[in-house]
Amino acid sequence: MNMKTKRGFFIAACLLPGLAFFLLFKVYPTIQIFQKSLYLWTGVSDEPKFIGLQNFVDMFHDDVFLLALRNTGFLMLIVPVVTLLLALVNASLLTQSKLKEKGLYRTVFFFPSILSFVVIAILWSFIYHPTIGFVNSGLELLGLDNLAMSWLGDERTVLWALAVTMIWQAAGYYMVMYMAGIDGISPELYEAASLDGATRIQQFFYITIPMLWEIIRITIVFSINGVLSISFIIVSVMTAGGPDRHSEVLMTYLYGQAFTNSNFGYAMAIGVFIFIISMLLALISNKLTDKEAH
Amino acid sequence: MKQRKWLTTVAASVVAVSVLAGCGSNNDSKGASPSASANPSASSSASEGGKQFENMELNVAVFQGGYGREYWDSIADEFMKDYPGTKINITASPKIAELVRPKIVAGNPPDFMYVAGSDNMPIIDGLIKDKALLDLTDIFNEASEGAPLKDKILPGVLESRSSSPYGDGKVYLAPYNFDVMGLWYNKKLFDDKGIALPTTWDEFFALGATAKDNGRSLFTYQGLYPGYLEEMIVPAIFNVGGQEALDQFYNLDPEFWKSETFTKVWGFLDKIANEDNALMKGTIALNHTQAQTAFMQGKAMFIPNGTWFEDEMKDSPREEGFQFGFLGVPSFETGKPMMALTDVQRLVIPAKAKNPELAKEFLKYLYTEKGVKLNGEKAKGIMAVKGAPDLVKEFIPESTYNVYKAVDNGIVTVNGKFISVAKGSKYNPSDDIYKPISSLMNKQMTVAEYGDKLYGIFTNIQKELKENGAQE
Repeated sequence: MNMKTKRGFFIAACLLPGLAFFLLFKVYPTIQIFQKSLYLWTGVSDEPKFIGLQNFVDMFHDDVFLLALRNTGFLMLIVPVVTLLLALVNASLLTQSKLKEKGLYRTVFFFPSILSFVVIAILWSFIYHPTIGFVNSGLELLGLDNLAMSWLGDERTVLWALAVTMIWQAAGYYMVMYMAGIDGISPELYEAASLDGATRIQQFFYITIPMLWEIIRITIVFSINGVLSISFIIVSVMTAGGPDRHSEVLMTYLYGQAFTNSNFGYAMAIGVFIFIISMLLALISNKLTDKEAH
Repeated sequence: MKQRKWLTTVAASVVAVSVLAGCGSNNDSKGASPSASANPSASSSASEGGKQFENMELNVAVFQGGYGREYWDSIADEFMKDYPGTKINITASPKIAELVRPKIVAGNPPDFMYVAGSDNMPIIDGLIKDKALLDLTDIFNEASEGAPLKDKILPGVLESRSSSPYGDGKVYLAPYNFDVMGLWYNKKLFDDKGIALPTTWDEFFALGATAKDNGRSLFTYQGLYPGYLEEMIVPAIFNVGGQEALDQFYNLDPEFWKSETFTKVWGFLDKIANEDNALMKGTIALNHTQAQTAFMQGKAMFIPNGTWFEDEMKDSPREEGFQFGFLGVPSFETGKPMMALTDVQRLVIPAKAKNPELAKEFLKYLYTEKGVKLNGEKAKGIMAVKGAPDLVKEFIPESTYNVYKAVDNGIVTVNGKFISVAKGSKYNPSDDIYKPISSLMNKQMTVAEYGDKLYGIFTNIQKELKENGAQE
């Protein structure tokens, strides 16, 4: 046995356990999801019955699913855009300006990212509490009593209220990522630009954003997928999908079909749908942003 | 690069196939054994006086919720003392369904299960849909301490759909503790101010003025979970349309949503939504704890809840002197008795249980006087057995005892359960009925629109049931 094959064996031996776990806990369940989405199955004890693509056909005749899809779409549109915009502006303000409390703000903005989602959800459900909540009390203090409403109890405001919570949770995290990116941009660029008379705003658009572009592309994908998974916890704790399903998202509906309606096959089909959607969105956003870079 | 990707795919499929194959063969071997062993053990136990069992080990899975697990540990100890040689293994968890689900799927269920709690109940619904529960009818026909066991159970319980899910008179789910649900009030407030308790819905709404004088709203409920309103709606349906209307409701008959009963019952919900000061501000956005706390702090006069209320909220803040008072549900006409919804918790033996004979013996043991008493002492629960409240009086809070006593003294109790929807149906009757009530309460939907919506849903459910029935 020569040195090269020995080395090959050693590397294989090191990789094998990891690969085995990866296959067992990531690949195998994923394959199962795809397979089970073609079956009529209660998820308890009966034999699954093959029904082809019927689950996927049913999905588009299911009003609740369509409503959940609409709600999820709304969140996936609003939350990443606002989160990343806020994060970018904050990051650029904190790195470029000569604020003394820079360190403090950095910590304060990042703080929500280290809290558990459940804690955040409970916290915000008290902030929105219709009588003792911070929002309504604040409005009443300012004499704006007529604006006070039960934010989570009204179908017109509930999604916005949830979006604010999710933005608050995520903005600091992306801000820190952008700050790290901005720190890597050579200060000479900014110096040269300001000598040429570029304003701060021009510097932001012509230096910061192009130099951060690769990071921004990644964060877009992260953020879209983050909305999918975080929305489950936020919605379960804060609204339980209410009022009347107006804050139901795909993840909560999937869970409900699987575990309260004993409709595992259908739930898996929704899972596959979510998988495809998030893959597509990631690809599309990657393609779109790729072109802009040139 | 390309080649490496191809390799992973092959490796993945190899592992997947081998694991799948493993699962398959497992299922087969396990599926066969219980049916083979069940028959001999049944005959041997009968011939030797019922005290000897081929298999002396019993696996019990119980929900560890408000009633705790202490009772199950002590009743198992007692049982093992009385049946020497037997061994009972107890698995208890608040998420018991998650623990037993993989075992059930693998064809290796526990011998005996107590499942409760809304997170866990779906597994029972799944087992019912799959017809995977053991028929327990003969246990209730057998004599126990003198009389047939079924005579000891509260009237109507064994006949109800929650015990006999297929409506064929056969019992598949045995009753355990029962809860009583209805409206609650602050007894101290009513006594001090000399307010008369409402017995009709008219009197209930007339209290709106009194509520205002006392700086509170008339009513609140667990807004995020409008399912709690069932505790008023179901007795009200029974009150207006009798058992016939209730059957129509629980049998998912679309015509219910065109009936007079519907208009009348949902009329009082509409009144709560529209009358000034009737519904506490912001109720729809509150979860159960927030709403119940608001009630106990004197923000509302009435709230629906069950016998677990006092225990559930024992650490919550409350207004001074607050005392739990149970009203029940008012009726639409004067002179009719108050009503309440009951819910009986369930014990089951899976059809594929390894040791059904011992499981049945254990089940019978729970209904003995000793078992009922122990349950009161350790779990603070009231079993759905005649005279149980008095047997366990010393162990339970007074407010709880009073509720059960009220049931004994003429409150009309109502219970029921929806028929199962077709397998694979996207509908969940309870969600479909109660969730849109949020929109009613928000005045974003009228009762007429609501009725039309549910008529459509129930029509579809019936259509699915017909199509699915033809298939199987």
